[in-house]
Amino acid sequence: MADVSQLSTGLRRGTLEFCVLALVEHEDRYGTEIVRCFGDERLAASEGTIYPLLSRLRRVGWLDSKWSESPTGPPRRYYSLTAEGRSALQHFRAEWVDFRRTVDRLVGTDHA
Amino acid sequence: MTTTNTTSDDAVREYLRAVDLRLGGLPLLQRRELVTDLETHIAAVRADRGAHSEGEVLEILERLGSPDVVAAAAYAEAGPSGAFPLPPPAPGARPYAADTYAAEPYAPAPSRAWVPVAIGLAIVTGLLFIAGVVALMFVARGDAASSVGPVPAPAEPYLPAPPAEPALPDGLVRPGQ
Repeated sequence: MADVSQLSTGLRRGTLEFCVLALVEHEDRYGTEIVRCFGDERLAASEGTIYPLLSRLRRVGWLDSKWSESPTGPPRRYYSLTAEGRSALQHFRAEWVDFRRTVDRLVGTDHA
Repeated sequence: MTTTNTTSDDAVREYLRAVDLRLGGLPLLQRRELVTDLETHIAAVRADRGAHSEGEVLEILERLGSPDVVAAAAYAEAGPSGAFPLPPPAPGARPYAADTYAAEPYAPAPSRAWVPVAIGLAIVTGLLFIAGVVALMFVARGDAASSVGPVPAPAEPYLPAPPAEPALPDGLVRPGQ
């Protein structure tokens, strides 16, 4: 079973960050919202691992963040897509479609 | 109720401390940021759901993942230049359980001791460089001034010459001359 979890970990690596970018493409979202979404989608086995990812995306300049008051709890850190993040996401979309087609063809999942 | 809250708060505190202890090899800002993000996350979910019982809080922590897993992600995302990975926790360490964190001794990362020294050296070097540049500028100005001295003034200066002092009648001397 270790192989299975390693496979999905490997598949997520390099794609998860673009799912994060897409999540804030049209509206700013706060950390807990993003993290819970990935937990619910089973894209992240451990929700806590998304925060280091958000941190890196901010450090490379693809995400921006600002703190804002919350009506119910502690202040929220809202993430938004920067211009660089937007173009990275567009680039990924083009690459991903080609990549997916090729893999589908090679492993025989193109009609799955 | 109060007892339950205290137990829940203790669990959160221990969890955050356990994560923090594992981040010794990260840049300080990243380390603090992650702990703050996790703390905010826990408080936000608790506030949203009114989750106060220990079971509910433990479930939140469980979803976040064990301190080892979260710390490993932090090192992976810090990149090769950002982190000085610490050795993995000793084999046989108990897996995620709220009561195991406090036992972990704090291990400062010795490999980062050079950082303050390097920063100090960089600052001193920078200051020396600036001092040198300023000194050079003064020398250059001095040279320019002394080399301009003997050169005859151009026939048509750009700036109008200062008004000539009125001629003094013969026999009078300006004060100080």
